Amino acid sequence: MRRSRRARGTARIAYQPGRSILHRLHPLVKGAWLLVGTVLVFVVRSPWAVDGAVAVLLAASVLAGLRLGRVRGVRLLASTALLLGVLQVAFVHEGSALVDWGPLAIFSGGIEAGCYVAGRFLCVVLLSYLFVLTTEPSDLAYGLMQAGLPYRYGFALVTALRLVPVFEEEGQTVYCAQLARGVQYDVRSPRQLWNLARQFFLPLMVSALGKVDTLAVSMEGRCFGAHDGRTFLREVQVTRMDQIALGLLGLVAVAALVARIGG
Amino acid sequence: MIELRSLSFCYEGSHQPALSDIHLTIGPDEFVVVAGPSGCGKSTLALALCGILFRQFEGQASGLVTVDGMDVRSRPIYDVADVVGLVQQNPENQFCTLTVQDEVAFGLENRCLPRAEIEERVAWALQIVGGEHLRERMLATLSGGEKQKVAIAAMMAAGPRVLIFDEPTSNLDPTATAEVFGVIADIRKKAKILVIVIEHKLRFLEPFAPRLVAMESGRIVYDGTLAAWQGRSQDAGTRAPGGRLAIPGSGARRVQGAPVVRVRDLAVERGGRTVLQGVSLEIGGGELVAVMGDNGSGKTTFLLSLLGLLKPDEGCVEICGLDTCQTPVSRMARLVGYVFQNPDHQLFADSVWKEATFAARNMQILDQATEVRVSRLLERCELLERREEHPYRLSYGQKRRLNLVSVLAHGPRLILLDEVLIGQDPASAAFVLQVLRGRVGQGDTVVMANHDPEVTSRYASRLLFFEKGHLLVDAPAVDGFEQLRAMGKDAYLPRG
Repeated sequence: MRRSRRARGTARIAYQPGRSILHRLHPLVKGAWLLVGTVLVFVVRSPWAVDGAVAVLLAASVLAGLRLGRVRGVRLLASTALLLGVLQVAFVHEGSALVDWGPLAIFSGGIEAGCYVAGRFLCVVLLSYLFVLTTEPSDLAYGLMQAGLPYRYGFALVTALRLVPVFEEEGQTVYCAQLARGVQYDVRSPRQLWNLARQFFLPLMVSALGKVDTLAVSMEGRCFGAHDGRTFLREVQVTRMDQIALGLLGLVAVAALVARIGG
Repeated sequence: MIELRSLSFCYEGSHQPALSDIHLTIGPDEFVVVAGPSGCGKSTLALALCGILFRQFEGQASGLVTVDGMDVRSRPIYDVADVVGLVQQNPENQFCTLTVQDEVAFGLENRCLPRAEIEERVAWALQIVGGEHLRERMLATLSGGEKQKVAIAAMMAAGPRVLIFDEPTSNLDPTATAEVFGVIADIRKKAKILVIVIEHKLRFLEPFAPRLVAMESGRIVYDGTLAAWQGRSQDAGTRAPGGRLAIPGSGARRVQGAPVVRVRDLAVERGGRTVLQGVSLEIGGGELVAVMGDNGSGKTTFLLSLLGLLKPDEGCVEICGLDTCQTPVSRMARLVGYVFQNPDHQLFADSVWKEATFAARNMQILDQATEVRVSRLLERCELLERREEHPYRLSYGQKRRLNLVSVLAHGPRLILLDEVLIGQDPASAAFVLQVLRGRVGQGDTVVMANHDPEVTSRYASRLLFFEKGHLLVDAPAVDGFEQLRAMGKDAYLPRG
């Protein structure tokens, strides 16, 4: 009668606390690396440079103590990168033939294209993961506000960050409540789809409106909006390490542009 | 400190005034409890004292509200906020930030206080609620009691002279409830401020010997000591608001025969964490089983496993002989009715009637007999006349009754209830329990997660107590309480 179906659990894509250099970098510096890095991946033409960047990013994740393998969706993204690479290898017939077994032919150009496309994809994914997994959401919001973002917008971001997991959980509860009342999720017509969507989102909407009311009372009751500005207990400071990271980003960007222009 | 003269308020679109001709004077060091049935105007009164009612809510107001000599109706909300703090029901919903320190500092930062002063006040506020160790924590990782402590600290940091608690423990287990009331006692002792608590759980407030203001239909019907009110209610054979449930009777009987629920070595993981471990039990027909334990002890996971919404990672669960791993939830749903904690999460149709017959329609078993049964249930729950209305127009208590009708409509053998008494006044709760006892009398099985020892003691035939995912107690209710007493779980014991 006893059965065991234990499987290794996965964690959501969220901040993983730590004290590594990556964790301690200013969120906006990490944001700059994410944005500029993403652009540079498409500027660089050398597949080996792109794959080198993937290796560096993987090494950085290991040094930061991140458990990438346990983050939800990582395997799907890795599989997608692999598929993109394999498709290029299979269909790009340029350069010298490395393997020629009738219908299966692999060319050097195909290998290069595969590494290039898969590497680009992985670079963007890894940059995003490193940013999200090493940046405490509060630090990002407070960093933005202290950099000049009006605090009303900053707290809109904080509220969104706070409520996303709450709504995710509530969505799961509504889904369970529907299953418990015999709702079947096999949609056969647009009308059924509409009904399902309405039945699912209505409770969430009502709950959201209730939360907004409570939150508004809580914010007003604590003088939110009473003044044009505000002070901060938490100071997200720019350190020497941030300056070095920014300098390094500048060097990488210049090198990538020079390599691109130089052909 | 507080003076209300002929205060009335009627929300826009409502025909009934939420507050009607309220006269009330409260001194600076008093401890006042406001009690009364759901919808009687308690929360509206709290919002009026903060001034938020007159700024954020549409409606017609008349009368005078003064706090510390300040005319609340004419002053900006921020001026009133310097004097009055409001801790709302669900701490989760009132948080504005992501970490404890940011949350406690939030109001001070908005007031543009210098950093050094904020630092000092945050430390003081956390110390007064006994939450210094929580300072660096993310709010999402706190327990229910810890969250409410932080919500209180966030209000205390501003140094209010009046602190209002609107049902601060309604979502908390008995252990956390006792903790929060301990914090309130400390605040009274250390900060010497006026405290107003809106609360159903009067048993926890008895040691404070508070002044009780009882409300009904927007009016104050009693203003005196709690002890005198309780004595008066007992003499009149009625029930104090928030007091013991009035329905007499013993717990449900146990019917022998094939078990409805059979659980063997159940272990369940959620989010990589083992939430239930090594649970084995059988529950027969005609049993009313109370499931108790601190928040996060595994009660909800246990109930979800019984319906098959969570599959066992180890062991197995059988309901009426059907293995939840082998049987789709849609099939299990015919045998098992589940009422979730929040009524709004389980209202899907656009009329009371459609909502009541929602499950039967989905299961394609809506016949004349079911319609007759639904009509009777709605009539019993005083909802038949409102059958064409939208469920969201119902009051909280009515929604809860509709939730119950809609899971009973298709006649499940096993009824699971997850903390359905939360937020209900004793009269509404008693009504729900009466309906359930009727079902148990017909041989159905009820398994109910519940925080109230009085309810368990009066209604349940059997007590299950979970701690950290383990089934610590499984015994007839009377014996179960004895075991809890021996373990020192005093917060879970009924009075007397």
